[in-house]
Amino acid sequence: MGQKPFTQLFGSLLGLVLFLALTALAQNSSRPPANDREVDRVQAMVTQAKKEADQFSKSGGKADDANHPNLKWAATFWRYRLKHPGTPATKVATIQALSMLYRSNRISEMQAKADTLKLADPAWEQVINVLLYASSRTKDYSYLISKAEALTQSAADPKIKARARFNIGEAYWRKGDIDQARTAFQTVVAQYPNTDNAEEAEGNLREIEYLNVGQPAPQFDRPTLKGDPLSLAGLKGKVVVLKFWATY
Amino acid sequence: MGEVPLLKELYEKYKDQGVVVVGISLDQDVKQVQEVVTSKGMSWPQVSDADQSLCKLFNVKGTPTYYLSDKEGKIAAKNLPSFKKLSEALDVLLKRS
Repeated sequence: MGQKPFTQLFGSLLGLVLFLALTALAQNSSRPPANDREVDRVQAMVTQAKKEADQFSKSGGKADDANHPNLKWAATFWRYRLKHPGTPATKVATIQALSMLYRSNRISEMQAKADTLKLADPAWEQVINVLLYASSRTKDYSYLISKAEALTQSAADPKIKARARFNIGEAYWRKGDIDQARTAFQTVVAQYPNTDNAEEAEGNLREIEYLNVGQPAPQFDRPTLKGDPLSLAGLKGKVVVLKFWATY
Repeated sequence: MGEVPLLKELYEKYKDQGVVVVGISLDQDVKQVQEVVTSKGMSWPQVSDADQSLCKLFNVKGTPTYYLSDKEGKIAAKNLPSFKKLSEALDVLLKRS
């Protein structure tokens, strides 16, 4: 007799585990997880909202019109947020609601709603950019800066902390406060090395130091598509328009 | 791309006053750029910035972006996001010199 019963027990356990795993797999392949399905549903709403906004502007409607479909959709997305807190789809809906209010120039309503978001809310990833666009429009950066300062301390994701610090730099730069802008960008580079935000901050630091009106334009030297040599130094005595462009 | 006819007009108008245009294309596909340059009749020189090194040098964040340098090779206007802004900056520069 010996140890056979133990092997048999092991064998049937293995069978049960395999059965459960295969059942789970089969369910997964036919039905995506509930969170993904909700994200798809909200994305479909976003597509519909964009379509309506396009039609509205094509027929001559202005962005800040009280009948703009964005306002109806902003309310819909915000209701969605309140009804389904804390899911990935909620993040999408929240970002949409606030972006649409910004585009409709309802800045104070947008800020009031943004103010109800906890600092750990993942939607801040985009909402912090919406606050920057809004403050560029109103030329009032105080709300953005205070909110972004709080996020650099308490946001859930280091990427959001980095973006918040970066946007503080952008805000001071747009305000004309170069020293504060430089400090913020330097902090991004030092605290979040090798990230997209750090790379962008380095670009802005270069622009602040070397790309001011009256400074020598950066030199470059490379052949044209036709194969002729071309350098900025060779164009001295000419007024030069550089146009960065793409066919796409 | 919609600004090409305006830039052509501006180029024709000012080229006798020592204004040159240099196109810097961000495309990966240089052949495609050449086709568009020909079909749109862009007569100014074009260089490729497929590796985005010039974008980095000038801190360019999107297209179109215009820079303007004066006859001494100094920056006269930077990071202009539209033809309208370029045209205004060029008017100011040419009146000054």
